[in-house]
Amino acid sequence: MTEKKYIYQAMFLLDNEEVRKGFNAAKDWIQSSLEKHGLEVKVLRLWGERQLAYPIGGRKRATYLLGWLEGSGDMVNEVRRELYLIGPAFRCLFLQEDAIPEEELVYGIQKMEDSELIIPEEFQEPDFEEPYEEPEEEQAAKDEPKEEKAEKPNSAEKTEEVKTDG
Amino acid sequence: MASKKTRMFDYKDVEDLQVYMTAQGKIHPAKRTGLSGREQRRLKRAVKYARLMSLISYVS
Repeated sequence: MTEKKYIYQAMFLLDNEEVRKGFNAAKDWIQSSLEKHGLEVKVLRLWGERQLAYPIGGRKRATYLLGWLEGSGDMVNEVRRELYLIGPAFRCLFLQEDAIPEEELVYGIQKMEDSELIIPEEFQEPDFEEPYEEPEEEQAAKDEPKEEKAEKPNSAEKTEEVKTDG
Repeated sequence: MASKKTRMFDYKDVEDLQVYMTAQGKIHPAKRTGLSGREQRRLKRAVKYARLMSLISYVS
């Protein structure tokens, strides 16, 4: 019995470190993985590179890949299982749709040069806390009261001396 | 009689979804959005997919 085929919209979140090595290599890996499981890739294109709304596994930015596929539900399940284990994608979403929009069909399987996609570097927070160094002005301000305290006994001695004289 | 066209929501259209959400990230009730039951459910699904793909935060 042949499995019924449906149209799916798929979105993949790609790790930027993998994309920096080569966007086409990451995209080809996804495409070959989809085709290996029997899915027919109609459209596969870059949707954007943006900051994540919340960090996922320490990543703050990611590259979004949008695809339109045709295949059965079992094929999608197998692909999803594989993508979560290996490869450049760390999250994916498959939605069943009625048809592929015409404006999406124009893209086809997008081919672009790696240099076209510029990914900004993520700001990495230091693993350890840097020791706090007090500015010179603050240190000087702290030292001043100590000197005053040291002077006080001298002043007391002076007063005693005055008393003895009287 | 022509049937009334219902609204569709796309999880990728973040700006459109945020119109129906509070600053905290909650979805406004149907009483406030003015959507029908079916449309409100479509909105709910779109927001949940957008959250899954980290396009919208769960809380802010």
